[in-house]
Amino acid sequence: MENKIKRKTRLDRRMDKIRALEESGQLKNKRVNRYFRKFKNNRLALWGVIVFAVIVVLCTFAPIFTRHDPGEIDVLNKFQPPSRDHILGTDQIGRDVYSRILYGGRISILVGLGGALGAAIIGASLGCYVVYKGRRLDNIVMRFSEIMMSFPQIVLVLLLVTVMGQSLNNLLLIFILTGWGGVYRMARSKILSIREEEYIQALEAFGLSNFVIVFKHMLPNVLGPIAVNITLSTAMFVLQEAALSFLGLGVPLQIPTWGNILNVARNVAILRNNWWMWLPVGLVISVFVLSINFIGDGIRDSVDPTQQG
Amino acid sequence: MLVYTLRRILILIPMLLFITFLVYTGIELMPGDAIDYIASPEAIANLAPGALEALRESLGLNDPFIFRYFRWLGNIFKGDFGYSLSSGLPISVIVYDRLPATLELAIAALILSSLFGSILGVISALKRGSILDYALSVVGMIGVSIPQFFFGLVAIVLFALKLGWLPYAGRTLPGYVSFFDRLPHLILPSLVLAFTMTAGVMRYSRTSMLDSMNKDFIKTARSKGLPEWRVNLIHGLRVAMTPVVVLIGFRLPSLISGAVVIETVFHWPGMGSEFIQAVRSQNTPLVMMISFFSVTAVLAASVVVDVITALLDPRVRLD
Repeated sequence: MENKIKRKTRLDRRMDKIRALEESGQLKNKRVNRYFRKFKNNRLALWGVIVFAVIVVLCTFAPIFTRHDPGEIDVLNKFQPPSRDHILGTDQIGRDVYSRILYGGRISILVGLGGALGAAIIGASLGCYVVYKGRRLDNIVMRFSEIMMSFPQIVLVLLLVTVMGQSLNNLLLIFILTGWGGVYRMARSKILSIREEEYIQALEAFGLSNFVIVFKHMLPNVLGPIAVNITLSTAMFVLQEAALSFLGLGVPLQIPTWGNILNVARNVAILRNNWWMWLPVGLVISVFVLSINFIGDGIRDSVDPTQQG
Repeated sequence: MLVYTLRRILILIPMLLFITFLVYTGIELMPGDAIDYIASPEAIANLAPGALEALRESLGLNDPFIFRYFRWLGNIFKGDFGYSLSSGLPISVIVYDRLPATLELAIAALILSSLFGSILGVISALKRGSILDYALSVVGMIGVSIPQFFFGLVAIVLFALKLGWLPYAGRTLPGYVSFFDRLPHLILPSLVLAFTMTAGVMRYSRTSMLDSMNKDFIKTARSKGLPEWRVNLIHGLRVAMTPVVVLIGFRLPSLISGAVVIETVFHWPGMGSEFIQAVRSQNTPLVMMISFFSVTAVLAASVVVDVITALLDPRVRLD
């Protein structure tokens, strides 16, 4: 262990290669591409992108990839184990599990991604503008988000479900409501430090409007961490939708979502005897969330070098 | 230091007041009659017809909103949290009943995850860049990606239904009283809960260990000729563990109601499953009060953690 200078990891070596290429002038348009190249060199993140894309495509174009309607009830063929006609068998009222998983994925992904994007847009634009504009408003928003954040996430979500009632739109709204605070704080801390930079003062001296300064010249500096946040909260929201629907408190049961399909697993008999009704969905959720997490990690490593352990 | 602590506590008061205000507004806005929440069910059942209005008047339900709020707040301080709508029991009794089970589960999971998490994190920091480090980080990622309840279901099927080693639901069997009788029931839920929590602790302790390994005092220790294990474990670890302890401190209060899903999967009779039942039956007062307890616990813990950090590290001060 003597004389140990930092041992180079695989990522470090890749980065050296990229830098060497850049210095020898083989690569043009340095900055943008460096992020992309670093991301491309992260093997896990690439796998994440592939798996993510496959699942999203399968779900989006579900009618092409399935032979059965997800709502088609066939009481004669209930509890069928996987067969050629029903790849993943049928459930307790004879619906095709495989097509239910694909159609359910549409809603689950929509809720997860929609919640994360909505929270990011609100949090970031509010964060940038409010912080740039003034102390007092910032104080109020900050206190408010502090209160929201002192609730454990799942408690807050359940509390809002009780107050607002149970529906798909409400769930999406609840995710946005609980998610914007984190993005706001992140954008805020970044903007606070950027605000003191000289180029901002220069822009002010030129007489540019606040709106242009904030959204054209400050916001791009915050996009990296926001992208990371979007991926990680998508993963979190997909998991939460699944958990809530599993408990019967998320999306109403008649709409298929990944969590709602898993809802049958609360029955011990099904849990014991009919593995195809709950195991494949659970695996799909896990793999999907895992792929998003790897993508998020990849983005973080490529935009934020300090995070690279 | 005392001033710092006091200020830290004083900041909490307006926040808590605001939260109680929200909680009370939620209870008032619920569909149904607020008298079911405020008066005990026996008192209402024994009433002569027409006396309901008199009871209403005597309880002050016809007063303006702000008066009602302050009376309710006063009752909270006296330990009277009102009544649950579905069972008619006082909420304080429900909490007294459910809290021990939740604490048992939460503490077991916390101990397991802190232990495994910090050990694995330190190992992967010391072996940075090795295959082991890589594998551990992938396993950690899997740990946070599998839905908790799904992992619980798989564990139930595997160890309880197929192998039959452990009971799959509940906290105890009738007639069993001591902690050791209950232990088999605790194993599965606490391990499942711990598995998902371990990943976070592991990540955190890895980063903070790496951070402290680059500090000057580590180089000093090494240049004194101390054996490598002493440098790592005595000098490095001590500093690296401070943020990890803080993280663990933050976890306990959020577990009190945050283990809702696992408690439901394993039919564990704790606060979490009570909470879920309350949400499901639209029992607004109970939902509000349990949320209120968990927020209070989180805020109190954050004060304690802040004060401890300030004690450990003189650079931290209130800005």
